[in-house]
Amino acid sequence: MNMRYPSTLAALATTAMISIGAGTAAAEDYTISVWSGGTGPNDTYRIDAIKIAAGLLEEEASVRGEELNITIEGKAFDGWEEFKQAITLGAEAGNAPHVVVSGHEDIAAWAQSGLIVPIEDYVDLESWPINNIYDNLLEFASFEGTLFGLPQDAESRPFFFWRDHMSGIGYSDAQIDALPDDIQSGAYSLSNVLEDAKKIQDAGLVEAGYGFYPRASNGPDYWQFYLSFGGVMEDGGKLVFDKAAMTKFYQFFVDAVELGVTKKNHLGMSWDQWYGEVANGKAGMWHGGTWHYKRYTTSEGNDDFFGTIQFGLIPGGGSDGAANTITHPLVYLLTQQEDDDATAIAAELVKIASGPRINALHAIKSAHLGISKAEESVDLYSGDRWARVATERLLGHASAMPNNVNFGQYWEIMFGGLEASWTGQKSVADAIADVETELATTLGDRIIMR
Amino acid sequence: MAKEITDTARATPTATLSARDMAPKLTKLQKIGNSKYLGLILLAPAGVFVLLFFFIPVLLTGVFGFTNMSTATGITGGSYLANQSSMQALGDRHGFGELADQINQIAYTIDDVGLEAAAQDGVDADTLKELNTKFAGTSFDNRRDMERAIKNLDARPPNTRAVKALAKHFERSIINIRFESRQELLAAINEIGVTLTPDQQAAVIEVTYTGWVFSTDNFKRMISLPDTKKTLINTLFYVFTTLILFNVGFALVLAISTHYMDAGPSGFFRSVWLLPRITPPVLYVLMWKWLAWDTGFISAILGPFGVEPKNWLLDSPANAWTFIILINGMVGASMGMLIFSSAIKAIPKPLFYASEVDGATRAQQIRHIILPQLRFPILFITSYQTLSLMTSFEYILLATEGGPGGSTEVWALSTYFKALNNYAGALEYGYGAALALVLVIVGVVLSILYLKLFDFKTLTAPPKIE
Amino acid sequence: MTGNYRKWPIILALGILTAPIILMYFYLFLDTVTNAPPGSLVPDEFTTEHWRFLWQTIPGRPSIWLATWNTLLFASITTLIVLVVSSAAGYALSRLNMPFRAFFLGGVMVLHAFPTVTLLIAIFLILQMLGLYNTLFGVIMVKASLELPFGIWIMKGFYDTVPWEIEMAGIQDGATRFQVWTKLVLPNVKPAILALGIFSFLAGWSEFILPLVLAPDNKVQVLSVYLAALIADDNNFDMALFKSVGVFYVIPVIILFVFFQNRLMNIYSGGTKG
Repeated sequence: MNMRYPSTLAALATTAMISIGAGTAAAEDYTISVWSGGTGPNDTYRIDAIKIAAGLLEEEASVRGEELNITIEGKAFDGWEEFKQAITLGAEAGNAPHVVVSGHEDIAAWAQSGLIVPIEDYVDLESWPINNIYDNLLEFASFEGTLFGLPQDAESRPFFFWRDHMSGIGYSDAQIDALPDDIQSGAYSLSNVLEDAKKIQDAGLVEAGYGFYPRASNGPDYWQFYLSFGGVMEDGGKLVFDKAAMTKFYQFFVDAVELGVTKKNHLGMSWDQWYGEVANGKAGMWHGGTWHYKRYTTSEGNDDFFGTIQFGLIPGGGSDGAANTITHPLVYLLTQQEDDDATAIAAELVKIASGPRINALHAIKSAHLGISKAEESVDLYSGDRWARVATERLLGHASAMPNNVNFGQYWEIMFGGLEASWTGQKSVADAIADVETELATTLGDRIIMR
Repeated sequence: MAKEITDTARATPTATLSARDMAPKLTKLQKIGNSKYLGLILLAPAGVFVLLFFFIPVLLTGVFGFTNMSTATGITGGSYLANQSSMQALGDRHGFGELADQINQIAYTIDDVGLEAAAQDGVDADTLKELNTKFAGTSFDNRRDMERAIKNLDARPPNTRAVKALAKHFERSIINIRFESRQELLAAINEIGVTLTPDQQAAVIEVTYTGWVFSTDNFKRMISLPDTKKTLINTLFYVFTTLILFNVGFALVLAISTHYMDAGPSGFFRSVWLLPRITPPVLYVLMWKWLAWDTGFISAILGPFGVEPKNWLLDSPANAWTFIILINGMVGASMGMLIFSSAIKAIPKPLFYASEVDGATRAQQIRHIILPQLRFPILFITSYQTLSLMTSFEYILLATEGGPGGSTEVWALSTYFKALNNYAGALEYGYGAALALVLVIVGVVLSILYLKLFDFKTLTAPPKIE
Repeated sequence: MTGNYRKWPIILALGILTAPIILMYFYLFLDTVTNAPPGSLVPDEFTTEHWRFLWQTIPGRPSIWLATWNTLLFASITTLIVLVVSSAAGYALSRLNMPFRAFFLGGVMVLHAFPTVTLLIAIFLILQMLGLYNTLFGVIMVKASLELPFGIWIMKGFYDTVPWEIEMAGIQDGATRFQVWTKLVLPNVKPAILALGIFSFLAGWSEFILPLVLAPDNKVQVLSVYLAALIADDNNFDMALFKSVGVFYVIPVIILFVFFQNRLMNIYSGGTKG
């Protein structure tokens, strides 16, 4: 007799028997807990979508003649460190929530340690709405050929310009409008960025250190600059360290500091202050994410986003690499639980919440992008200028960080090196050498060094 | 009861032996109230706490330091999982590429064994008959095709979970299945028709295991990383600078100067300097941030003088260190201040009066009267606070998070980040435990040294009653 | 005390050095009830809006009253455990002749060297095995253990100052050592118990890292974690609100400090030698 993952088989089989002739187990009460990371006040639909889905599932059950009561307990974390700590320790203690909304990059490590179970075990991939979700997003939610979660949202990370400052250094309106195309073709590269930032600063349009105003804390965004210089994150299942690309990437930020367009101690600044400044023209150029649209127009008081800001892909590094953007989709994941029925219900809820109408609620409220083709024709979505324009300009060119068990370590080491060179702690050469050593000792043969 | 003994004893003062013989028997409780057992009982609760939350964790940390425990391996348990990456490792690391290819097949086959098993599980007979008719002997090389075939039957199972359960019966591969024990894994490999030599078995077990294993890699890594040295230097700098400047140095200044003041101002200063220690760290650091941030007090004061508002705390490593030392120092100074003050208070006043009569200046008084008395307390504070500073990281975490650029990251903070708290969620418990172990060893060695220095015997003079 | 020296230079010098602390605390209280125009240090209006968290629950966070209750529970029970266990153990180490006495005492001193916070993973495992992860009680046990070396050392120091005669007299009157302890010696170290109690309560009230890692759930959140999460939230930077919550948080500390500072300042005097 074949050996299986015994409990899953038993559970599936038993439920199959009970369910013959009926839909799901009858007259049941469930409490499903949902935790979501990196979730601010605009992102509440990450949890609320599950609540809406619960209402729908209960109605479907009553149509089938059964009684189903689902209570949703949600918890939103606005950062990532405490969230991931709570999830991992909680899971070890058997206390993990049923549904977790986290970055897709966590799938690999959590799947490996058995913290999460594949949603493919519980839902039919050819059913609605999964069969309509973008294929590449489903890829990002998979690991080892199995679909582990469902994409909760999509986004991209554009490069932003403040229109007035660009005209202030001599760009005509037509040229500014053409910037996204120039970036894409490679005509406008990262060296242009530094040049123009310096001009903007010299012209007195912005204060010193505000010419190029990057993100002030760790994030997927930095990998974009590695890609801009031709770097590759993963190849054939193994991580890749491209020394030349990484060096040029660190050097770019060091150059920015030396030119004076970026502050040496820029990292660590408060987000509140950062948002306030970029949204209102205190900076010349910066980069961020598609959800910034919502932040600028609601909390930061910018009423004329399209009139004041231009955006495009992250420029390439010149001859070394191409313009690019990274998408960092969050995914709904199911944790390993003792009560398999609850997990099955959670899977259904996640599936319903990924439907175009419900997902559009999150997409528009938080200015993330949609996850399925049908979503593009939902009125709420298609009526939103930003959603349309951003999807069209960015999403097609977006790549994602790999789902690799050791990527988290690679990421921490990469950022440590960047921080050290940026703040002048180490020279770029030293930082790269140290990163190389650390990668070799920590990851060994799991990373290819080029 | 006690009185009876006394009366009896008094009645026969000389024959104490017989008095004891004639004394009423002590009750059990009173027997317990005797020295040897009482001591152990009184110490027992403390012992339990200390055992549970000090010794056992230290032991565990020592053990974990020699493992590769992380979020990818999990803390408890581990399964055996054959998948793309483990099969690739089988080829790359062990050279069993062909074997890996053999195992790395996914197959779902409609055969009699599967049909029977499905029937036993209560799957509808019509479904199985149709399956048999249409697909007997067929193989599918992936799960989705298998499930699609089942869904396309006329007598298809009623819901998704039933479809998946049925498909599982025909799974004839081991890819992406978690086996709880190595026996199960090996048996399954046998079932799919692959035979393994003992070497191959060992290799397969090694690459498929998802849990943690013992290894000394952590220490190799620690030694080879240049950042380790940097963290060490940071820690030493931090501990000794804060110690000398504040915990001992400024504490002395405080104790001596308040000694020379009237009770009023003296009490005032002592109280104010106690405040940092008793204020909760979160609030205390918040107040310093208010002082030092771009939008804070220093920037506001210097604004009219043409100084740009900037983040005084994080502007440069020098700035950060200055504030870190100030923040921790002001907390630390209070303990020294209190101990030194009480030691000074113990100096008989006539000594001071006499020296004044002899014309001594204050400086001379300090040098010749006060400092000698403080020799022991200074030594004590030095040793106690060295240990405190070495193991503390809370204030640094709250104030700079080790920034800017890791320049204020001390060993204890580094351990916290590696093991419990970082952006990418890559928690490395094993490596963190190794780092913690180093700290424990250094701390224990230091404290034993200090104990020797203190002439431990005087602290443990045998009790006078015995 | 000594009459013929000028005092004011010292007071001035010390005053200047102390100024930052006084400044910070002054503005702490000032900012919670006033508003000032941005960039200026001088407030222009009084307001109670920074205290709105008392009657409005900030979305996504537990009610401040729940957090306060948790913190109170945490601090009090920790203090109770520390007092009971320390007074017992301190007495044993100070007065009783038991085997390995020196070993226990040395052990207490060495324990201070253990970086308990870096043993967190192992402690987490133990709590998890006991089923106490994410419970207030679990964190209480850990915190109490953390405070024990200090408590035992303090109590031992105070016991050492109690004259042997009291105990001798008690023994001669026929009391057991236990009775001597409870009825004769303990009343004599009441100041120590009070001081240690206050100290432990303050330590429990301020504790941050342990609840952060071992009891992150909203239901068991304590004020330190509540405030830290508020500050770290980059969606609403409001220094005045932070300070108001902070002041609310620090009120018991201030009260204890005002009434008992003398006790606190004398806590070390029972334990020094030389």
